Amino acid sequence: MLTTIAQAVVNGLLIGGIYALVSIGVTLIFGVVKIVNFAQGEFVMIGMYISFFLATSFGIDPLVSLVISMPVLFIVGVLLQHFLLRRVLALGDMPQIFLTFALSLLLVNVALLLFTANYRTVQTSYSETAVHLGEIYVPMAKLIAFAVAMVLSGLLWLFLHTTDLGKAMRAAAQNRDVAMLMGINPDRVFCVAVGVSLALAGAAGSLLMPFYPAYPLVGQVFVLMAFVAVVLGTLGNVTGALIASLMMGVAESLGIQFVGADSGLIVVFAMLLLTLAFRPNGLFGGWSR
Amino acid sequence: MSMTGSSTFAKRRDRRDFLKKSAGAVALATFGIARNAFAAEPVNIGGLYPVTGNFAQIGQGCVNAAKLAVQMVNDAGGIKSLGGAKLNLIVSDVQSDTTVTRTETDRLISGYKLSAIHGCFASALTLIASEVAERAKMPLLTGSSSDQLNKDRHYTFTPFSRASQFALAQLQMSKLVSESPKVAVIFENTAFGTSTSNGLREQAPGQGVEIVMFEPYSAGLTDAGPLINKVKASGANMLFPVSYLNDLILIIRAIKQSGVQIAINGGSGGFVIPDFYKNVGGVAEGLLGVAHWNHDVNADAQKVNEVYKQQYGEFLFEYAGGLVAQTFMIADALERAASTDPQKVRDALSTLDVSSGYAAMGPGGKVRFGPDGKNVYAHPVGVQWQHADLAAVFPKDDARAPLMKI
Repeated sequence: MLTTIAQAVVNGLLIGGIYALVSIGVTLIFGVVKIVNFAQGEFVMIGMYISFFLATSFGIDPLVSLVISMPVLFIVGVLLQHFLLRRVLALGDMPQIFLTFALSLLLVNVALLLFTANYRTVQTSYSETAVHLGEIYVPMAKLIAFAVAMVLSGLLWLFLHTTDLGKAMRAAAQNRDVAMLMGINPDRVFCVAVGVSLALAGAAGSLLMPFYPAYPLVGQVFVLMAFVAVVLGTLGNVTGALIASLMMGVAESLGIQFVGADSGLIVVFAMLLLTLAFRPNGLFGGWSR
Repeated sequence: MSMTGSSTFAKRRDRRDFLKKSAGAVALATFGIARNAFAAEPVNIGGLYPVTGNFAQIGQGCVNAAKLAVQMVNDAGGIKSLGGAKLNLIVSDVQSDTTVTRTETDRLISGYKLSAIHGCFASALTLIASEVAERAKMPLLTGSSSDQLNKDRHYTFTPFSRASQFALAQLQMSKLVSESPKVAVIFENTAFGTSTSNGLREQAPGQGVEIVMFEPYSAGLTDAGPLINKVKASGANMLFPVSYLNDLILIIRAIKQSGVQIAINGGSGGFVIPDFYKNVGGVAEGLLGVAHWNHDVNADAQKVNEVYKQQYGEFLFEYAGGLVAQTFMIADALERAASTDPQKVRDALSTLDVSSGYAAMGPGGKVRFGPDGKNVYAHPVGVQWQHADLAAVFPKDDARAPLMKI
């Protein structure tokens, strides 16, 4: 029994690490630019396809292709902010929602057109292996993904707290007008924020590729969990999103184990409802980052 | 002299001309008649397959096989009782969508002078096409397995095993793995998942199979780890996942990672196509499945498989192989009906009785339709992934390779 619970917790934490990469991206854009990016999942999908084609055409390991998918998506993010998001910033919620939602639909359908609806997997030497600790096993691909996700989250935290650009980003998030008065160029800061968010989505894609099939709708699977994590961990709070993602992974896994395999999400959403009922601003209300 | 000479010459030329021309005309006429008899009106056959959408990959394979089959019939001289008439396949894309299937079936039947139809791979689509065909009194052959297709229909013929037979075979196969099978059934909580798994549960006691876990899950897993953790805790020695490809890939990888020693029978459909192996890779080795047709069941099947493999680079999968046989059944019916009239073709199909050749190259090796349109000899064949190929391993009479132990 104890091993079953321990195994469920391990499984939950591992998938929680992936949820974290997606949700941190969403929360970062929201925190800084104040836009909810409904297309975040589609950038994960793009990251997956980048890794898939690098792996099948050039034999590059999906984990190595991280160094390509992240910069590519960073640039996409900068362009996205500069050419699209910037134009709707002053227009209020509706145009922003429509813009990112339309972008999501567009990307899914372009992917369907280009790559068809087929599932694509990459076989790596570690796709099916696992580390066995007594009765408990830790799948290698997910362990690596989790570790890299945590390292990237840590680097992001350091970036936000120790570099001038990071501090400027947080300042712009707290109060854009005052930040501008202090000489911060919000356009530049916003570009970097969206770029970093998308780079994280790209990282999630590359990390998923060794153990999850790529297909045009794959982003939707992860983005739902990411949104729950973002709300649960307080909108705009990077650390909150990270912790909430891990909690959700574990809750889902335990739910599947003890409530029913089709009820994993029920536990997650129950957690969300309870949190919103008692802490409407999420578990980490306020600006703890 | 020269004049007469020239005139006789001219006359002679005229006569020769006349002869030449008339001979030409006669030759043309006779040749024309012969040609007419040779190129009798082609016989139109409709093929309804999803070549776009969710089932696109499989649908395209079906179309490829259907074309190959038509070419085989035509190369062998077409329909002799119709003066060597060639088959002409008219393919329509039903887009993996029920609404489109309805309109496309209608369009195909009303737009062309068809003699028969085959389609549509997915049972959900075939049920619709079969309703439309029934109303239009158009014979339809299908490899789809839903038992619904045999209810209140007079124009639908199902030459291969039914869904209820699949469940039975799957349960019987678990005896290959263990004397006392303890089965875990995990199924996606959709119509497909629930109906298939209920079929398994209902028939299990009769087969001496114990079901130790019966668990629905939400289709579209992010992680199969927790689910497999549960399977592990159930103490099962055999797993029946009722899932589509994406979840199946995750489930099989998770089992491999967990190190749980458990045999897997993935059933049919997406489990027995080349794409499955491409996605899952070596982990697929040894996995069991059930199919209504396999490319090694007899010599004819192997022959077609070789041709298909040369053209398309992968083995002829279950549904596509069955489709080749179906085309030959239609050809046989046309031959005996000596007519392209759908009603007469339907009547000829209902009295079809073959036990050799490409039309009979399925498990059981014979085709004769009962009043419900079922082939009375049909049964499924148990298959196993061996060396990137599918080998028939069950039942004994159809087994073409020994069971690979894993």
